[in-house]
Parts: sequence; C-alpha cells; structure tokens
Amino acid sequence: MLFAAFTVWPVLQSLFMSFTDTKEKDLRTPFAVNFIGLGNYARALGDPTFVKAAANTAYFVVVGVPLTLAVALLAAVALDKGITRLRAVYRLGFYTPVITSIVAVAVVWRFILQPDSGLANTVLGWFGIQGPNWLGEVQWAMPSLILMATWRNFGTGMIIFLAGLQSVPPSLQEAAAIDGANAWQRFWNITFPLLRPTLLFVSVTTAIGYLQFFEEPFVMTSGGPLNSTISLSMYTYNQFGYGNYGLAAAMSYLIFVVIAVVTALQFRLLRENT
Amino acid sequence: MLRSRTRYGRWWVYLVLTVALVLVITPFVWMVLGSFKTEGEIQRVPPTWWPETATLDNYTQLFARLNFATYFTNSVVVAVAVTAGNLLFCSMLGYALAMLEFPGKRALLLVVLGTLMIPGVVTFVPLFVIVANAGLIDSLPGLILPFLVTPFGVFLMRQFISGLPPDLLDAGRVDGAGELGIFGRIILPLCGPALATLGILTFLSSWNNFLWPLVVAQTESHYTLPVALALYSTGQNNTQYGLLLAGACVVVLPLLVVFLLFQRHFVEGIATTGIK
Amino acid sequence: MRTPAMRTSAIAVLSVAALTLAGCGRPTETQPAAPQASTSIGAGPATGDLTIWAMGAEGEKLPDLLKDFETANPDVKITVTAIPWSAAHDKFTTAITAQKTPDLAMIGTTWMGEFAGLGALDPTPSSIDKAAFFPGAWGTTEVNGTSYGIPWYVETRLVYYRTDLAKKAGITTLPNDWDGLKAMAKAMQEKAGAKWGINLQPGGTGSWQTVMPFAWSNGAQLNNGDQWTFDTPEMAEAVQYYQSYFTDGISNKSPAPNSTVEPPFVDGSQPMFISGPWEMSAVEKVGGKGFADKYSVMPMPTKKTSSSFVGGSNFAVFKDSKNTDAAWKLVQWLAKPEVQVKWYQLSTDLPSVQSAWQDPALASDTKLATFGKQLQTAVAPPSFPTWEQVAAKFDTELEKVAKTGEDVKTALATVESEAQSIGTGS
Repeated sequence: MLFAAFTVWPVLQSLFMSFTDTKEKDLRTPFAVNFIGLGNYARALGDPTFVKAAANTAYFVVVGVPLTLAVALLAAVALDKGITRLRAVYRLGFYTPVITSIVAVAVVWRFILQPDSGLANTVLGWFGIQGPNWLGEVQWAMPSLILMATWRNFGTGMIIFLAGLQSVPPSLQEAAAIDGANAWQRFWNITFPLLRPTLLFVSVTTAIGYLQFFEEPFVMTSGGPLNSTISLSMYTYNQFGYGNYGLAAAMSYLIFVVIAVVTALQFRLLRENT
Repeated sequence: MLRSRTRYGRWWVYLVLTVALVLVITPFVWMVLGSFKTEGEIQRVPPTWWPETATLDNYTQLFARLNFATYFTNSVVVAVAVTAGNLLFCSMLGYALAMLEFPGKRALLLVVLGTLMIPGVVTFVPLFVIVANAGLIDSLPGLILPFLVTPFGVFLMRQFISGLPPDLLDAGRVDGAGELGIFGRIILPLCGPALATLGILTFLSSWNNFLWPLVVAQTESHYTLPVALALYSTGQNNTQYGLLLAGACVVVLPLLVVFLLFQRHFVEGIATTGIK
Repeated sequence: MRTPAMRTSAIAVLSVAALTLAGCGRPTETQPAAPQASTSIGAGPATGDLTIWAMGAEGEKLPDLLKDFETANPDVKITVTAIPWSAAHDKFTTAITAQKTPDLAMIGTTWMGEFAGLGALDPTPSSIDKAAFFPGAWGTTEVNGTSYGIPWYVETRLVYYRTDLAKKAGITTLPNDWDGLKAMAKAMQEKAGAKWGINLQPGGTGSWQTVMPFAWSNGAQLNNGDQWTFDTPEMAEAVQYYQSYFTDGISNKSPAPNSTVEPPFVDGSQPMFISGPWEMSAVEKVGGKGFADKYSVMPMPTKKTSSSFVGGSNFAVFKDSKNTDAAWKLVQWLAKPEVQVKWYQLSTDLPSVQSAWQDPALASDTKLATFGKQLQTAVAPPSFPTWEQVAAKFDTELEKVAKTGEDVKTALATVESEAQSIGTGS
C-alpha cells in the first residue's frame, strides 16, 4: 500500500501531465488543463538541445557503464580472492568516494583537472606530454566527467559484488579445486554463473543511474563548454525549473523509455537461469 | 583453496591495490585536511596539501551557528527508520519475487522495475501534494514513510536471493518448514552480506537526502543535518568553502561508522550459516 | 504476498479510470482584473503569529534584527525559518502548489514574475512610498504594472581593479568610457605582467549579468512591452564590444569552468573583473591582511549612460497569509532607513532605501559610496516569469560568441527567435 500511494500514484499523475500543456500555475488544479496528445513529445524531440543532450548521455552511458562495472568487479574479486590481509582497509578506502560530499569532490577534481597547475597535467608533464584543458575543451570535458563518475561510483558496485561473492558457497569451490580446476576456471565456471543475478543488478542499476546522470555536469561544468556535457536529466531538470511541467514530464518519460529498452536488453543478455 | 596455498595473496595484487587506494582516497583526504584550513588557503592555486595554519575555526563556527543536537537526532531517526523498513520489507518482497510462485508476480516485478526507472524529479511534485494532503508536512513521518520500501531495495534483494543455490531451499522444504520458516531460518541468514549492502546503501541515501527533507520541513526544528549544513555555506552569490568542507566532514563521520558496523557481515555472512 | 500486488493493480486501474473521467480542458480563460491592493496598512501595533522564510545567512541574522520589532509590538509572535539558497526555489514552488506558504518571505528578484504569476503574492499597499527606493530596485517588484512587496536589499555590478598594478601599468586617471576600459585592461597585460587583462566570463550561466550592463549603457533594452528585443543595433554593438575582449586576447576564452575570480585577482594574473559587492569581503579573505588597500572599484564605463545591473532580494507577503495586516506592518518597518542601516551593519547587505545611504556607516566608505552611486542608474531585467528560461538561451549564445567567434548578429537573431517562441509568460 505504501508502495502504491507513494510511488505508483505520482507516476500516474506525472504520466498524465506529459500529455497536457501543464504549466507551473496549473499545478493547483491539475486536471483543468488541455490535452495535447503527443505534442510535448514532438516538441522535445524537435529541440536541438534535447537531441544534443541525448547524444551526450548516450556517450556517457556507453563508455561509462562498462568501465564502472569492470573496475568494480575487478576491485571486488581482488579484495575477495587476491588478498587476505587489510581487506577492511581497502574496502573502506575504495568506498570513500561514494560517501564524500559531491561538493567537496567537485572542488578537488577541479584542482586535479586544472589546465596549468593541476595534478593530472603535472603528472603528464613528467612524461613530456602537454595535457589539455580538461574541462574547458569540448572534446575532453566528457571523458573527464566519465572518469570522475567511474571513480565516484565503482565503490557501490564493488560492495554489491563483494556481497555476491560472499554468498558463493566455498564448498563448491573446494570441490572444483579437488577436480583439478585452476583459479580462472573456477571463477568462470563456478563463481561467475552464481554471480550473474548480482551482475545483472549492478549493471541495470548503474545503467539507470548513468542514464539519469546529473550531478557531475551540474557541479563541474554546468553543461558546458558549448553544451558538450549537458545531460538529458539536467536539461529536463531545467525545464521543471522554468515551470514547463508538461514538457518536462514528457522528456522524463522519453528517458524512461530508453531506460526500459536498455534494461530489457540487459535482462536478455544476462539471462539468469543458465 | 586458493587462500590456503598463497597465504597472504600475491604481492603485486597488494601493490596495484595500494596505488589504486592512494588515487581513490586523495579527494577524501584533501576534504578532511581542507576543513582545517583558512578560506584563503583553500582557494589558493595551486592548492596546498597540509594546512599552513591549521585552524578549528570552521568547526567552531559551524557548531556555534547550528542547533546541532536537533538536526543530528532528526537525521538519525529518519535514516534508522528508513533503513530498518527497507531491510524488512525489501527482503520479504524480494524473497517473494525470487522464490515464490503467485499470480501477478511478473506484473509486480515489472512495476518495481518500472518505478526504479522513472526519474525522481518527475514524480516529485505529485508526491509532495500527496504527503501534504495526508497532513504529513512538517513531521518526521513525512520524511520517513515515502521511503520505507524502495524499488531499488526490492530489486537488490530479489537478485541476491535468486542467486542462492536452489538446493538449499529444497532442503528446507524437505525438512517440512513453511514459507515463513524457510524465509526466516534459511534465507535471511544466508542474506547477511546482501542485507549489509542494502543497509549501507539505504542509510547512505537517506542520510544524504537533501531536497525532500528541505521541502517537507517547514520549521527549522525538523531539518536534517545536510539541510542545516547547506544553510550557511552556500550564499546567493558566493560559497564559503571552509564551512562547506567542515560540514561535509561532519556528515561523513556517521556514514563511516555505519559502513564499519555493517561491513563485518561481509565476512560473517557465510560462516554463520553453518553450511559446510 | 498476494495482496499488495492485487491492490496495486486495482488502484492503478481505478486511477486511470479517474483520470479519464475527470476530463480535461481549461475552464474558459477570463482575463483577471488587475489585482486590487489594500490601500493602507492599519495603524496600531502588529499582533498575532507571523511565519517568515528567508535564505541562507539572511535567514540566520534576521531574528536579531526583528528583536526591535518584537519589542515595539509585544503581541506579535514571529517564527523565522532559514532556507538554504541552493534549493530555495524548489521549496517555494512546491509550497505554493500545496498552499503551504509562510506569511511573508524574502524572495529573489528574478522569481517575482513567476510567483506573482502563480497568484501567490499580495499586492503592495499604496501607503508604502515607492519613491524612497532606488528606481531600478523598485522595478523588480513590479509585475504587469502591479507591485508585490518591496526591495529589501540590493546589489549592483562594478569594475574591480588592482590599484597597485594599475599604477604599474601607467594608469593615472581612471577610464570612463568603453575604449578607456579596454585600454586599461590591455595595459595591465602589457605593462603590469598580468596574464589576462580582465577576467570576463566567456558566456555560460549568468554571463548576461556582465554583458547587459554594457548593453544597457548603450541604450539597448531587453523588451518593449511584451516583445523581446535582442536583435537591435544597440545590443549588437555591446555584444561585439564584449566579444572583442576575447578575440583580442585580453580575456581568457577557455578558463576552467566554475573557476573563481578571487585567486587570480589576488596573485595579479587577472587584475580586473566585474562583479557585485560581496566580492569585497571575498577578495579580502583570500588576499589576507592589507589587501583592502591594493584594490578598488569603479563605475561601469559610460557609453550613452553608465547603467549596471541591479539585483538583490525583495520582501513580499503571501496571499494565503491569515495575518496580512501584521505582515505588511513588518514589511513597512523593514523599509525604514534606520532599520536598513542596522541591517547593513548586521549583514553587510546594501540598503535599497536611498536615504539610508546618507548614514555615515555607508557614506564614509569610498568603495561603498561608488556602489551607492551606481545603484541610482542600475537596471533590472523585466519581471516576466519566463525570463530565466530566455536568459539561459542568451547565455548559451553568448558562449558561442565568446568561444567560437560566432557572428554577433546571427547569435542575437537566434536568441530573439527563441525568446519569441518562449514568450513572456504573462
């Protein structure tokens, strides 16, 4: 019931809103508005900035999700199988980016990516490479944000993977070891299949999160330079801020459709019962 | 087992992990050190590492200006209630979705996934109107109730439970345990690491939640810690970085404690089930 | 486990039915008559409960100021809630939607059109004397010819410069026109060792606040009635002038995003910038002891006029308030010159009431006096609810102009057509 009242109803109302010309001043009387069918959807898709934002978001997701998953899984396996000591220290350390306030993160990353005196370009300088103006140049701004998002989010994936790895019964591993399987075979044949539901979860939630990425450009670049890092969520958020609720709701549901398709694909790819 | 053969793991794994660790925690360390610096030093380009003149000014200012005990209590009550609700309800729903057969199961799963996928910003205003009509504005229940069950948690628990070896369940059934018995005596103990993960993630998101508590609370006595901390650090035209970093450190401390409390279950998860 | 699922779908079905049945369509729109302001504020002391929202540091310091009001009106009980700036707009709009507004509140000047358009604000009683305020600031309270609330405190933009480096660059008299300002910035670069002559924002969020002072000084207007007027020769000339700082290499066209002005101002690498009064304490904090003597401020250079941007915050009463009389009494009290001076001393927010500036606390400080002088001619953008949306489009095009050297006329034509399609929202 809670779930219905606080989750499902707002969804229905906002869906309704997306087919109407609702503006901010209509919110007190939500049903006294004009039904305009797919007008908002057409307007969103015809807006060049929205299309640009969609392309940016696609770039972010296609590169960012696999990268984050790979780093998270690698870290989890290394902590679970590779070492026996100081695990708690590494685990906590790798998790700190997740709990560090985004504003502090933004300040530090801006210093790291400073064109003249930043840490990144100083290190590149040691190898004789002239680093770019990371956040100030159109072609480098997005890769910088992807790197930062991976850094910020892999900790969450890591602890979910760790929990998944822990629930693989050691007895199965031992049995395989007795049968003469090496570490890689054991991982691939025993651990990995049992990890699939976890992998599916992390990949679905990471993809959902990244398709709605917002905070990184919001605090780092405000969508610039020249709209090269504006994301779908950020652009939609702005439309809500301007009071164009109908249009913003339509944009949100366009994002939703993409997310649904991507999720369905992931379910297909990582089908559970092997 | 791998562990018994190479007792301390391989040295190069440690090396790689340590290099990674340094890279990863740098901003965190800078945040903590920065909170002891003066405003001028924080903004200096290039930035300094160690505070030149370490000062507690940021913290004394923060605590002098904030009614800290009230905000802290509010935050704890909300986060603990939300976490407890999620641990209980999400594991039950997750179990049902993973292991039981019932009509409408597929539809329910789709609803859960669907609501997970909808951007939160779109449902924000309708949700606020519901809570307002229910008379929950400016109250702690208004901060807690909407988050007691989250689709994220349900999905997480469902995925974990479907990853458990099915023969464990059958063993339970053969022993003649009822569904509740299987859930309570077999599933839950096996879920230790998963519940710990859910606990950490839920506590974290509830603790850091900013916009909802701000909008629901009408008087300062119902503010949570992040809302109160945002009051003085960000102005109309300028940001006070010293206050901001000190505030960020204060907010992060309880999260570290919660993480340390829950993470022990990663190790204990399997051991306590008594399965050989 | 069965029940919740069934209930959910049942509710879903019912709600969809309800949505369909509720029927759509607006009631036929009737143009509302211009809102009637109550003509006067009752005499006698204020009584009853008042809740007030105010942002950030203002919200924190306001209770101190209000102690005097409470002493003079012993039967009034005031609750001030401080709200963080970062999400104040969201808080106001949701509260207005759910009709959970306070009695009165501090309101950002750019939100006036929006909130008044929502029918949330009470018109200003005519007994409040508008002539007491700076005219530009009073303009921010007016929406469609009706005033809602009063300007509480103000700010305007001036040119900050390093006095020591200006001397080194051979600047003996301060420039007072466009060419002079540019020559000064160039001299800073060539003779005083600055990397960039002046720190100007190359477009992007909020850059209109720096560009519009030049445009206003050139006689350009943002609107004529409810028509947007971006594509005009006066505007083009001002934007071209702004663009020339980037094409001539005097200003950095690709700085790191969100970089602050204070550090390069203090280390001398960018010894000039244009900003508001809060930068005085900000640069002095970064600069440390004695830095106050190393910089000063000057008015915006004159073209046809010298007209800067006026911002700040207003104070308004909400329509849903049950105690409007006491609320307006409080607003009237906030506008008293002596209260404005006291508020300046508590908060360093600049008074919106002109006569308050004669107080020695403000008149004796030369930097402050320059702000006071600029405020007399400062201009605000129109109070249309759609202004922020239009401004964002303007900022985007300004970024192209500054960074990619886009043709100014093309850019302004784009802004104008986008602005027309967004409309004025009133």
